[in-house]
Formats: sequence, C-alpha cells, structure tokens
Amino acid sequence: MTHVPASGGFELPLWRAVAVFRVASLAYVCVIFARDADRYAHPFAAGAVVLVMAVWTAVTAVGYAAPARRGWPLLLADLGVVVAILLVTPWVMGRAALAAGLPTLAVAWLSGPVLAWAVSGGRRRGAAAALVLGATDLATRGMVTPTALNGAILMLLAGVVVGHVARLTVTAGQRLQRAVELEAATRERDRLARDIHDSVLQVLALVQRRGAHLDGEAGELARLAGEQEAALRSLISKAGPLPTEGQLDVRELLGRYASATVSLSAPATPVPLPAAVARELAAATGAALDNAARHGGGRAWVLVEDEGAAVTVSVRDEGPGFAPDRLVEAAAQGRLGVAQAIRGRLIDLGGAARISSAPGSGTEVELTVPRRKP
Amino acid sequence: MSGVRVMVVDDHPMWREGVARDLAEAGHQVVASCGEGRQAIRVVAAARPDVVVLDLQLPDISGVEVIRGLRAAWPQVRVLMLSASGEQQGVLDAVKAGATGYLLKSAALAEFLAAVRRTAAGEPVFTPGLAGLVLGEYRRLAAVDEEAPTSADGAAPRLTERETEVLRLVAKGMSYKQIAARLGLAHRTVQNHVQNTLGKLQLHNRVELTRYAIERGLDD
Repeated sequence: MTHVPASGGFELPLWRAVAVFRVASLAYVCVIFARDADRYAHPFAAGAVVLVMAVWTAVTAVGYAAPARRGWPLLLADLGVVVAILLVTPWVMGRAALAAGLPTLAVAWLSGPVLAWAVSGGRRRGAAAALVLGATDLATRGMVTPTALNGAILMLLAGVVVGHVARLTVTAGQRLQRAVELEAATRERDRLARDIHDSVLQVLALVQRRGAHLDGEAGELARLAGEQEAALRSLISKAGPLPTEGQLDVRELLGRYASATVSLSAPATPVPLPAAVARELAAATGAALDNAARHGGGRAWVLVEDEGAAVTVSVRDEGPGFAPDRLVEAAAQGRLGVAQAIRGRLIDLGGAARISSAPGSGTEVELTVPRRKP
Repeated sequence: MSGVRVMVVDDHPMWREGVARDLAEAGHQVVASCGEGRQAIRVVAAARPDVVVLDLQLPDISGVEVIRGLRAAWPQVRVLMLSASGEQQGVLDAVKAGATGYLLKSAALAEFLAAVRRTAAGEPVFTPGLAGLVLGEYRRLAAVDEEAPTSADGAAPRLTERETEVLRLVAKGMSYKQIAARLGLAHRTVQNHVQNTLGKLQLHNRVELTRYAIERGLDD
C-alpha cells in the first residue's frame, strides 16, 4: 500500500485519536509507576523515563497535528524514541521486577508509533512498526511470557486494523468531497439552465420565429437569433456524468456539432463508449459533417443509435450526392481524402464505415463501432 | 379546412400572445390560454380544445403531469409539445404520457402552423430528434427485457423491421414524402408506421403504470 499524499483534513480525526490514545496510555503508565516504583531497581531513572515519555507524548501530539510534519523524520524518530525506552527498561526495572511479572514501564504506551505509522501509511506500515516494537520488547525482556506475546500480537493486529480503517477513511473522504463538488457544479448548471430557459431562449426563439419569413436584414437577424438559440440550448441540456469511469457519452461529444443547420437525434439515456473510442468516433463524425457542409450545402442530420453490441452514428445531407462508382474511381486514383480518413479511423476501432450516395439524393455515412463486453 | 380549436399553455406572456396572434391570423380559434399546468387542467373541459399547444416546462407541475391531467379531464384532446430547452428525457416522458407531437420553439411559423393542423387531424408530429429518442427507448426497453424477461402481457413492445426502418429515416431528417419514395410505400402507410411506434409506447406505458399501481396497492 502506497503512501497517500498528505491530503488536507480527512486524516485529522485519526491523528487526534492517536494523540488521545497516547495521553490516556501515559496516564496508565503513571499509575503503574506510582504503584510499582518501590520494587524497581532504579526508581529515579524510571521516573526520568516516564518524564521522557510525557515530553515525547506532547511532541508527537503537536508534531502530527500538521500535515507537513507527518513525514519520515518524525515517524522514524517516534519509533526510535520508543525503541530506546524499551531498551533501557530492563535495566531500570531490574531482572527481579521483570521476573516477578510486573508490567513493563511503557505498557500500552509503546503502541503509539504503531498507530501513527498505520494512520500515515496503511496496514503494511502499521504491521512493520508493530513487528519492530514487538521484537524489541520480547528481546529486551530476555524471556517470552504469554502476556508479553499476547501484547505483541495485539499490537500487530491493532497496526493492521487501524491502517486499514485509516485508508478507508481517507478514500471515503475523498469520494465524498468529489461528490460534493460534482453536486455543487450540477446544481449551479441547473440553476443557470433554468434562468437561461426562462429568459434568453424564449426571446431568441420568438425573434427567430417572428422574423424567419422576412426578407433582408430582419430575416438575417432572425436566423442569427436561431443559431444562438440552438447553441445555448445544447449548452444547457448537457447530460449528467456517466455511471462508469473511463467512458464517455457519445451524445455529449457529438452535442457540440449540433447547430441551426445540424440536427442531432439520440436516445434519452447515455451512450457510453471507452473514452478513446468515443473521441475517435466523434472525430470521424466531425469529418463527415465537414464533408457534408462542403459538398452537401445546407442542412445535415446526425443519428446516434445504441444497439448494445455496437454503436452506430449516421450522418445524412441533402446535397447533390454522387454516383457510387465515383468513390471507387477516386480510390483507384489514390485521391480519396475524407472518405478514406473516415474509413481508416473506423477500421482502427474495429468498426466499419458505409458511405452511400446517389446523384440528386444526398449522401449518407454510417459509422458503426462494436462495443466490447466488459 | 376549418379552424382548429387551440389552447395555449405557456408561462411566458409574450410567447402566449405571439402564438395566439399567429394562430388567429391563420384562421384558428384560440379558446383558452394559461400560464400554469394546474390551471390548464381545470379549464380544459370547459374550453374543449382540439389541440393543446403545451410548453414542456411550466412553473407548477411537470409536463407529464399536465398531459395526464389534460387527457383525464378532456380525453379527446391532442397535445402538441413545444420545448425551448430540448430536454430529452422530458420530451420522451411526455410522448409516453400521450403527447402526439413535438416541436422546438424555434421552429418556423409555417412549420408550427402545419404541426397544429396535423396534430388536430390525429397525425403524429415528429422531429428527427423525437424519432431518435423513440428509437432509443425501444432499444432500452428491449435490453431491459432481455436482462429480466417479464410475463407475456407486460413484455416490452417491439418495433417491426419496417417501423424501425421508417423511424430511422425520420431521425435522419427525411420527410414522410421522401421516406415513402425511398421505400416505395404510400404516404399514408409511412404515417401509420410512425403512429404505431408511438401507440405501442403509450400503451406499454399505461400497462406499466397500472402494474406499478397494483403492486403498490398490494404492498400497502
């Protein structure tokens, strides 16, 4: 599991919980010390160790509070300080006290770095810190008691579980933030769409409708109003986000081609394709529309169909058209700009382009892309 | 042809007046005009229009609710939807609820007047966009049906090959006349095919609604 870059506040509550754990376990250390001090070999040294623990508790509480300081230096220092405390414990307590089964000086407090490592980097880091501390603890005691072994295993489990929960929390936090941002954006767009619909679109549509049959400048103004109306309409009626990642809605990509002269027909539900395929398909459609604008003159119609196993985009114009053999002829002479470009793109996608035309009845281009089952 | 009795439902006074004037100049009779859906449902039985020209986005209730209310209050009414925003799901839902015509508000005056006449005569008024939506809806229903087949009576409606062919050509912007010429059919036959595609969708929608109501009723 890799380290997630310090990402603002999602981890903050976890770090606070670690600090609280350290303070509470320090209080327990004090209780143990007050009860057992007279049975230690070096009570004053033990007092000094407890003081060090108190200072280190404060240092980590402040240190881990800031995301910038949660890096390796503090994590390693944290582990080092606790290992050092474990190393001096046998001398401070004395063999006799340990053999009598008194709890070690650090008791639960030594889990502090395990939790810190787990929160900072997940399960593996938590487990690594737990193994280092557990091994040190067992080694310095000079014997393996069931209690000590239990403690080490509990510490290991705590490291793994806390690390796991920490990752979950961060991921959930990031998802929530994305959802909140998306919702805010959607709401803003809905608001804009309502406003535009209630005012601008109505007026533009009315201007176009009243003036479309007039000659000269008035008719031209009406036509311009119509174009703007179509552009605005496509802008505010964009579909919502797609359910699956890495996919694009073909309708949305083709939406930008819609205008007063290009009509777009599509299903009401998203037509998802892998992003790269969708972009290629849109580019091929754009090429076909360019061609229609150049030779077809006037209007063009685009139809998007989702057949489940394949997606088909048809482009039709009402230009002069051409005889079928002219395309073959052009191909034979090696000059076949647009049609070849379109066919090439579709073949690269595993699909096909069908171009049909007859003199006087316009041109139809049908682009089909197969959809691979996920 | 004598004038058509038209009711205009739109929340924009300027638009309502403009449409009413255009209709009157073309010899039709504007029997009522309202700015809200609930008001439209209240007055429709008294106004007895042949055609309701309905803006899909009204301030009070949804287009689907208005259409259901209008048809409940005055069953022989025919609904021609106008929409400024091209909101696709809304248009499809309105068609399934019983609207038989759809135009963008920016359609030319002649196109609008022809649409009113055709709606009054019981002909479906399709834009290429609406044909694309209807095609997509049939495919969606078929896909849902394949995943979880329902009992025979509730099975998803299917288009015949001919209906699919006709609908695709409408979606690609061809007029009924052009389609009739291309497929070697009579104009009236093309029109019937288009009408059937809407009829099956509306019938299926009613069956689904009834089933939903029964299921809800049994659960309560």
